[in-house]
This record gives sequence, C-alpha cells and structure tokens, in this order.
Amino acid sequence: MNVLLAVLWKDLVSEWRSRDRLIAMLVFSLLVVLVFHFALPGGATPRNAQHAPGLLWIAFVFSALLGLGRAFQIELENDALAILALAPADRGWVFLGKALANLVILSLVQAVVASVFAIVFELPILAVAAPLAGVVLLGSLGLCAVGTFFSAMSVRTRFSEMMLPVLVIPPLVPVLSAAVSATAELLRGGEVTFSSVQLLVVADLIYWIVGFVLFEYVLDE
Amino acid sequence: MSASVSQGLASPLSVRPTGWVLAIFVALYAWLVTIAPIDSVQGLIQKILYVHVPCAFAAYLGFVVTAVSGGLYLWKSDLRFDRVAAAGAEVGVLFCSLMITSGPIWAKGTWGHWWVWDARLTITLMLWFVFLAYLLLRSFTEGSERAARFSAVYGIVGALLIPLNYYAIELFGNAAMHPDNLERDSLGTGMGWPFLVSILTASAAFFHLLVLRIDLAKRRSSLEQFAEDL
Repeated sequence: MNVLLAVLWKDLVSEWRSRDRLIAMLVFSLLVVLVFHFALPGGATPRNAQHAPGLLWIAFVFSALLGLGRAFQIELENDALAILALAPADRGWVFLGKALANLVILSLVQAVVASVFAIVFELPILAVAAPLAGVVLLGSLGLCAVGTFFSAMSVRTRFSEMMLPVLVIPPLVPVLSAAVSATAELLRGGEVTFSSVQLLVVADLIYWIVGFVLFEYVLDE
Repeated sequence: MSASVSQGLASPLSVRPTGWVLAIFVALYAWLVTIAPIDSVQGLIQKILYVHVPCAFAAYLGFVVTAVSGGLYLWKSDLRFDRVAAAGAEVGVLFCSLMITSGPIWAKGTWGHWWVWDARLTITLMLWFVFLAYLLLRSFTEGSERAARFSAVYGIVGALLIPLNYYAIELFGNAAMHPDNLERDSLGTGMGWPFLVSILTASAAFFHLLVLRIDLAKRRSSLEQFAEDL
C-alpha cells in the first residue's frame, strides 16, 4: 500500500513540476477535435451531435495512448524501472500506483475535452454532469488499467510507440462499447441502461485484478 | 551442422507420423467433399462450409493451445511450453486468416454482403487482432525469456477477453447472422460425414503444422546454443 501511494505521489509530483505529458495530451486531443471538424460532413457542429459520444471517446483514447506511452518511458531514464521492480512489495502495487496516476492526469484532460465537445456540438453536459462523470470515470478506469499494464510491456519492446496501440485497443473493445453506449444514452436525455454500467464494472474489475496479479510477470529489472 | 545440434530432431526430409495421418485425411476429405450433395437452397457455394467451419475449429484450437501453454510457461518457466504457445498462435492465426477469407466469400453468396457485424464474426475478428498483436509482441520484444513471459501474459489476457467480448457484442452488436449451432441434425442428408471428416482433416493439419513449428523452434534454439558455445 505504501508503494502504491509512493508511486502515485511521485508520478503526480513529477507531472506537476514538468507538466509536459499533460500539455501534450491536451494539445493533441484538441487537435483531434479539429481533425473531426474537417473529417465530418457538416463539421463538428450540432448537426453531428449524434456522433459526439463516439468521437468523444476516440479523443479520450487517443490522448490516453499518448500519455500512457510516456508513463513508463520516463522510468527508463537512469534505469528507474529496475528500481521500481526492486520495490520491497508485490509489483502489483506499483501497477496500481501508476494506473491511478494515469487516471488523475487523464481525468484533467477529459474535463477540458468534454467541455470543448459540449461547446462545439452544443451538448447538454451540465444537465447530466454527475452521471456523465461517473460513466467517464468507469470507462477511464478500464482504459487506464489496460493502458498502464501494456505500457509497461511495450516500453521493453522495439518500436514501443507502435506496439502500445496494437496491444491496448483489442482489450479495450468491451469498455469502449459500453462507455460509448452509456454516454450516448445520457446525452440523449435518457437514463443509462443497467447492462452498460454492469459491463463497465465487470470489465474494470477484471482488468484491475488481472493487472494487479500479472504485473509480477511484466515488470522486470 | 554438427551431430550435437541436430540431436533429437527429425531429418528435414523425413515425413512425421502426423504428416501421414494428414495425407490420409486429405485424400478422404477431397473424395467426400466432391461427392457431398449440393445444397438445394444455396447451391455449390454451400461447400465452403467444409473449409470455413474446420478452419474456425482449428483457429480456436490454436488460441486455446496458446493460452494454456502460456499459463504453463508462467507456472513452470519451461521454454518448451513457450515453443508450444508460439506455435499454437502462429498456426491459429493462419487458420483464422483462412476463416476470415473464406467467410466473406460465402457471406456474399448467401447473405448478399461481404461483411456483416454479426456477433460471431466480430468476436473472431477481434481474436485475430489479439493474436496478431501477440505475434508482433513476440517479434519486437528483445530477449527470449522476456518475449516468452510477455507473450504468455498477452495470450492469457486474449483468452480472458473471449467471454467479455462476447457479452459486449451480444449487448451492442448487430443481430446474429450465423446459425446457433452446426449439429449434425442441422446439416442436409449426406453432409454429416463430409463435415465430420473436414473437421478431422483440419485438426490433423493443425497438429502437423504445430509439430513442424515446434520442431523449427527447437532447431533455432539449438542453433543459437551452438553459436553461443562457439
């Protein structure tokens, strides 16, 4: 538990001091919105609001992949990854600390991106702010668990930037499909169906438990 | 190559017992599929059944072999299990690619579309991606021990995904187009035996390729050991 808190605190403090990952993720996700505007017939306007939930999650996933790629890259400097692996506790705690730090950083980006989406697509996000935040949190929990786990793996491969999305996207499909569906239901003014939330909770639990247990085999000196 | 390198390995020109079994099944398969009755509704195209379903069977067999061998590798740290896991993934991806190629040809003829986002189709496509990622991970990871460990973990995660993805696709995917089952009763008269033999032929092909691939991995590691000893 101490290792979890130490890793979480270390990652947040180092991010606060440099802010390079946060800024890069933010700029990139805003650029994604710009790309959507030119890619969609009719642009990123209220006319295309029905596509907004899917596009919003694409922006979340893209920016998360950018940030997650750096999560373990920074540990390669001065061989810090080996020190993390030698921490006097189960390596699963390192996973939990890293994943929670990624979740905090991603949440900050998501708040800005969701606000920009609300402005350009004229989405009623304030009316459903609390349940929407809950759905985004559940989706992001799965995203960060899978992303952190495979980021530790991809950093030890050649072409790590290419390997991360290839490894992460297939396991993300259940989380993404449930998160997009729940977000669309909320933005249409309806209530979230139980099955979407159920799938999100089950997938999150599986990913966090599997990540905690199998991280022993992923992190090495 | 010295005798020590090829010790315990079959000569490259010899035919393994699995090869003889496969040859017998292929002859029987060709004969039975030729004489199998032509479907009265779908016509000749229905004979893709004898390619498509056996490939699906062999593909899933490959993924099961990979996940189980990966788990055994993590447990025992024995590189022999890793060789089986890697062979299972490669042969599984081969059969999965054949299934994904033969499926649309059949689908265009019967459903009128090359591709539909049917539950079984989508889940198979995702499994195909998982195991392509598995093979990429193996080839891009440096160090055989690390590659074995990483790919074993990814193989297990891939297998865990099957029920989760199935649930997700059932919830949000399109209506199912594939029949619920392919029991013998659901096949037309005279199609049962060709179908059964086609499954057995694909299994024989799977095991033959698996054995050849494991043999190749053994040769490679003997050669690496030999080079190190020099």
